[in-house]
Amino acid sequence: MSGHRLFRFPKPAWLNSANTRTAGVYTAGALFSLGFFAFIDAAAFSKSPKNGSDPPIHINFVDWIPGICSALGMLVINSIDKNRLNGDSFSYSGNGVAWKARLVLFLGFALMAGGLAGSVTVMVLKYIVPDYPFPTLWFGVANVVANAMIMLSSAVLWVAQNMEDEYTYNLAL
Amino acid sequence: MTAGLKTIIALSFVLAIGFLLIILSSALWQNYFPLLVAATYVIAPLPNWICSRAASHDDFMESSGNGIVDFGRFFTGFLVVMGIALPALLAHCGIIVFQAMVMSIFGGLLIYGTIISFTMFFQEEQDF
Repeated sequence: MSGHRLFRFPKPAWLNSANTRTAGVYTAGALFSLGFFAFIDAAAFSKSPKNGSDPPIHINFVDWIPGICSALGMLVINSIDKNRLNGDSFSYSGNGVAWKARLVLFLGFALMAGGLAGSVTVMVLKYIVPDYPFPTLWFGVANVVANAMIMLSSAVLWVAQNMEDEYTYNLAL
Repeated sequence: MTAGLKTIIALSFVLAIGFLLIILSSALWQNYFPLLVAATYVIAPLPNWICSRAASHDDFMESSGNGIVDFGRFFTGFLVVMGIALPALLAHCGIIVFQAMVMSIFGGLLIYGTIISFTMFFQEEQDF
């Protein structure tokens, strides 16, 4: 097994333990919560009396669209069974299950990347181009932070779930 | 047995202090939003428990490979950070004052620590 390695450094041993995997799933939830509440904070701040922008700038539905796209993409990506991805050599994936899984996964990643790009677009077009000062600019920054956190959370969850496969593989041998 | 008794007494004491801090942070300013923190931390371990009941234990690798268990852990992590983020949000938006935020975060962490250490101390008695 060690002769077939591609990289010079081996993967550290703690990466394959079940505890690291559990911690990764918890971390993914924490990151998702952090991003979600950053955006909820911006939305609540825009309706609070501390929002001092002179023609009142509020968060409306346009600001919510990137976050909804990102969350949908995360749902799509993580509801796919990872074992189906490199299928087609197994017997249970007869009729192109791996192809379908890759298509749905591509849709999920497109939704997520679209969410992140859309949040940057909203920040630039709605808050940076009219040159708003900072308490109002926070609405746009929080949007980008929320989408980046959702993406990071999804990446952590993905890595943690792939870690599980390695772990069970080691256990099965 | 006395060690278990001491643990129970200490944990209930910490739990009472946590609830005292949260109720004080609500009642001192006549603003009962910080009670949401207590509710959040009380329901934070619930997804883990429910989902570990729902998981199938017939596998020999029971610690891995269960989507429902992972969902419960994800949701628990979400709720734990929510217990810190919610008072910060309320304080940032001017709904509660800063001191109430600090008291409710601290009280919530005490409550959650009590619940976690309770399950850690008395887990081995439920083993079969």
